[in-house]
Amino acid sequence: MKSYYIIVLIALVSLMASCTDVIEVDVPEGPIRLTIEASLDWEKGTAGNEQTILLSSSTTFYDNQMPSPVTGALVTVTNNDTGTIFNFEDQNDGRYTTANFIPVLENSYTLNVTHNGERYTGTETLFPVSDISEVFQSKEDGEDDEALEVNVSFQDPEGIENYYYLRFQSRNDMLPELFDIKDEFIDGNEATFYYEKTEDESNNIREFEPGDIVDIKLLGVSEDYYNYMQLLIEQFDSAGDPFSATPVALVGNCINLDDSSNAPYGYFRVTQMVQDTFTFE
Amino acid sequence: MKQKTGRLRLPWLWTGLCLLLGGLTIQAQQNFTISGNVTDKINGETLFGTSIFLEGTTIGAITNEYGFYSLTAPSGEYILVFSHMGYKEISMPIQLNQNLKMDMEIEEFSTQLDEVEVTAEEPERAILRKPEMSVSKLNIKTVKQMPVVLGEVDIIKSLQILPGVTNNGEGSSGFHVRGGAVDQNLVLLDEAIIYNTSHMLGFFSVFNADAVKDLKLYKGGIPAKFGGRVSSVLDVRQKDGNSKNFALTGGIGVISSRLAAEGPIFNDRGSFLVAGRGSYAHLFLKMAGEQNSVSFYDLNLKTNYNLSDNDKLFLSGYFGRDVFEFGGSFSSSYGNASGNLRWNHIFNDRLFSNLSLIYSKYDYELSIDDFSFDWISSIKNYNAKYDFKYYFSDAFKLDFGVSTLKYEFDPGQIKPKGPDSAINELQLEQKSALESAAYVNAEHKLTDRLTAQYGVRFSHFNRMGGQKLSLYANDQPLVYNNTLQFYQRNDPIDEVSFKKGESIKTFSNLEPRASLAYQLNDYSSVKFGYSRAAQYIHLLSNTSSVTPLDVWTPSGKYIKPQLSDQYALGYFRNFMDKKYSLEAEVYYKTVDNRIDYIDGSDLIGNNTIETEILNGESRAYGLELLMRKNEGDLTGWISYTLSKSEQRTFGGNAGGPGINNGDWYNTPFDRTHDISVTGAYRFNDKWSFGANAIYQTGRPVTYPNGQYIYEGISIANYSQRNADRLPDYYRLDVSATYRPNKKPHKRWKGEWVFGIYNVFNRKNAASISFGQNVETGANEATRTAIFGIVPSVTYNFKF
Repeated sequence: MKSYYIIVLIALVSLMASCTDVIEVDVPEGPIRLTIEASLDWEKGTAGNEQTILLSSSTTFYDNQMPSPVTGALVTVTNNDTGTIFNFEDQNDGRYTTANFIPVLENSYTLNVTHNGERYTGTETLFPVSDISEVFQSKEDGEDDEALEVNVSFQDPEGIENYYYLRFQSRNDMLPELFDIKDEFIDGNEATFYYEKTEDESNNIREFEPGDIVDIKLLGVSEDYYNYMQLLIEQFDSAGDPFSATPVALVGNCINLDDSSNAPYGYFRVTQMVQDTFTFE
Repeated sequence: MKQKTGRLRLPWLWTGLCLLLGGLTIQAQQNFTISGNVTDKINGETLFGTSIFLEGTTIGAITNEYGFYSLTAPSGEYILVFSHMGYKEISMPIQLNQNLKMDMEIEEFSTQLDEVEVTAEEPERAILRKPEMSVSKLNIKTVKQMPVVLGEVDIIKSLQILPGVTNNGEGSSGFHVRGGAVDQNLVLLDEAIIYNTSHMLGFFSVFNADAVKDLKLYKGGIPAKFGGRVSSVLDVRQKDGNSKNFALTGGIGVISSRLAAEGPIFNDRGSFLVAGRGSYAHLFLKMAGEQNSVSFYDLNLKTNYNLSDNDKLFLSGYFGRDVFEFGGSFSSSYGNASGNLRWNHIFNDRLFSNLSLIYSKYDYELSIDDFSFDWISSIKNYNAKYDFKYYFSDAFKLDFGVSTLKYEFDPGQIKPKGPDSAINELQLEQKSALESAAYVNAEHKLTDRLTAQYGVRFSHFNRMGGQKLSLYANDQPLVYNNTLQFYQRNDPIDEVSFKKGESIKTFSNLEPRASLAYQLNDYSSVKFGYSRAAQYIHLLSNTSSVTPLDVWTPSGKYIKPQLSDQYALGYFRNFMDKKYSLEAEVYYKTVDNRIDYIDGSDLIGNNTIETEILNGESRAYGLELLMRKNEGDLTGWISYTLSKSEQRTFGGNAGGPGINNGDWYNTPFDRTHDISVTGAYRFNDKWSFGANAIYQTGRPVTYPNGQYIYEGISIANYSQRNADRLPDYYRLDVSATYRPNKKPHKRWKGEWVFGIYNVFNRKNAASISFGQNVETGANEATRTAIFGIVPSVTYNFKF
């Protein structure tokens, strides 16, 4: 629901605001912090044993030397229901990997990271996801009746609260298209979401063309993660626009046990995922 | 809060009673009363603010909104003077040995289409002695000659070049008064509440200048007859319509055109006015193959009928709408509608009354074709008011009255467009409330130099049943998560259903208002004012500029009424034989129970707003200077405001430190410096010129202080709320008006208005957004500047 409002507002602004340009603005410099990207996504129908956790450090806003990997940390994940501990090995490039992970639906997991003498931790539950029922292309839907878009449909189960994170990545593009989805208004229905690109010469964006490939991931996520991603996506799409909310620092689910004022960025998520790849015809 | 008002009550009433008795004793002399109506000789419009006085005395009166005056003096021989800026002064000898009824028609100096003179609104003698302060009154003629963007005369934008009034940048709706929010302004059009003052997101105001007679903005010292908002009252009055001749006025502009017709009806017992305005830029866009379009239109109606010498009926209405269409995918429309029936009755030469029945509505509709559903939200109110003015004596005048206002809130409903829609039907809880008030206000001349205005408004708010209300564990709709350090919504644990007749919560407040004017000498005075005001309904908006989608909500179990206290001190002076005038004021204002929104708040389609808000306070203080040149070929003013507006929000019941760690932070409408210069120069009978120059400190915003990579994108981290600022804003506009030679007997009068907005083509940032370049992925700052240089031409006519 909210994303449509935001689209409306962005459209209102873009209609009026013919005039945008890139300028140099001095921004304040905040503290440098550990960033945890612990995304344990279990693809439906696979074992899900191979998992990677990324650790990096934040930088100043205009720093283009991203990412700056963090090495030498101790990383483990514990299944709180079974007590099993999974050790993630340091690959010395910011990646920490395991080949032994065992995903169990509805089980709760805890992440522990020790770095520079400080201990970080976070807890998350693994939620199931619906299958993608259809992926297809069309022209007449979307904002522009002439432009190609890719559509993804899935059936929301009735009577239970579900939260989803949907990610489109066009292989020709740098940035993905992200959706946070809550079933509040679509409970029990088949829902369809589309990704369409509209021509923008100033940014060198072109419409989808036959042959373009888009990777699609649909994840079943927790309510807390949905809230996190909702804000992340909203700010990624429109922070600073006149009709957007005052941007704020995102708060993930990981804390610093030794220094609460130095909380890490990022999130520890454990999800079930379905994915597909679509090639425009 | 209740205790505080309780303590105030007794001494206040006591003082009021004493002063009232004082007024009565003055009355016990051999006095007679002169009363009547003042109208314009040419078009028969009643005149507001005409000064009527007995020459050589301090006895005088000023016509009210309906042109009525009444003044009382000891018997004797006098010279009676009618004086109104821009009109020929009339004086006549009178023999006052009985009560007199004296209706007067006065004539304008010039009957040109637009007066070139910028006029001080009231005769200076009135400004100095009246305790009224913190008031900006603009003559519609003054408004019409200011240079404006795209040639569209705009009342709201004109107010913004006076001290203490700002907006949130180009393309933002509404206005801010003395550091207050948009929803803290009570905007009245012929007494009907207007909830959204902007067309096209703030590019134009909803007021059609051809239909407006005059406007008055109370920035403080709000008279007791107004209530319900804590910052200001903008009182806009529509024209009654020409009661002498049929007349057409209109204008053809680049974006829009307007036409107004007025004339006498009912065998000259009444008059009417119909004015319409519409934009047509969208037609060109469509012709150019553009799928998106935006347009607006509005319609003003007014008619009046003289039942008798002492009874007059007025019927007025407004309807305005904005329509946005985005290709085939979605469309939206919104607007105000209002209607008002009023009955003026003069009981006797000293007691004037007005009874009003008023309806107004604002609604918003959004239709999303992709997901085939409609979203509708609205606020409606029905209002009955009975106002009296009693002219006890020259030294004592009393306003009193009652009002009751029923609100109906529909915060949102979702309607699927057909059986195939993936969206389920939904109705958010509809709410209703009753806001009632009674007031009494006295204008009391204590000595020849000292005049006081004091009064009190008693307001009562009943949040009515007929809805369900969520309940939370420990009565905490949200709670501070100590581990993760942020505010978290709680889920309701139960629901309670209130029946229609039940009341969910009631509030009442005593709102004392007082001001004093002390005239130091013939050319200067000092004034002091205090006012308390309560506001029971709130516009939910967590964006930096309000949007047409924002929803109003009433006070109740979880949201308390806002309460403001404002103190103001002013110095007023005329010099160089009243050619120039200076107004200087300082103010300090606090607002209790100003809500703010937690980080990541989500207000859209939300039934449980209480989980998104914390209760806080705000304060604003400042200095305002206004220097005017009132006469001559060159007129205009310089205005300067130095001010601060900030707020603080503690965790309260939810625990935790609050928003921004419980420290004070800037409101989005804080402007340190705000300077504007506006001038009009009459070159000759054909040509006149106007210019505005504006400088403002940039709007507070929140900038990123770092970044990190997550999900393959750069995520910006943000620091303190509103701690940074957009670059300073400045702009120069110019205009020229050309009036071709008019033949004396020709009824058709036309003029051309050429304007250039933002002459230096400065790209003033309306906003700055931060994000990744889509090609390189590098972070960058993108400025949105709405208007560069905008030339315009408009043709206005009158027939």
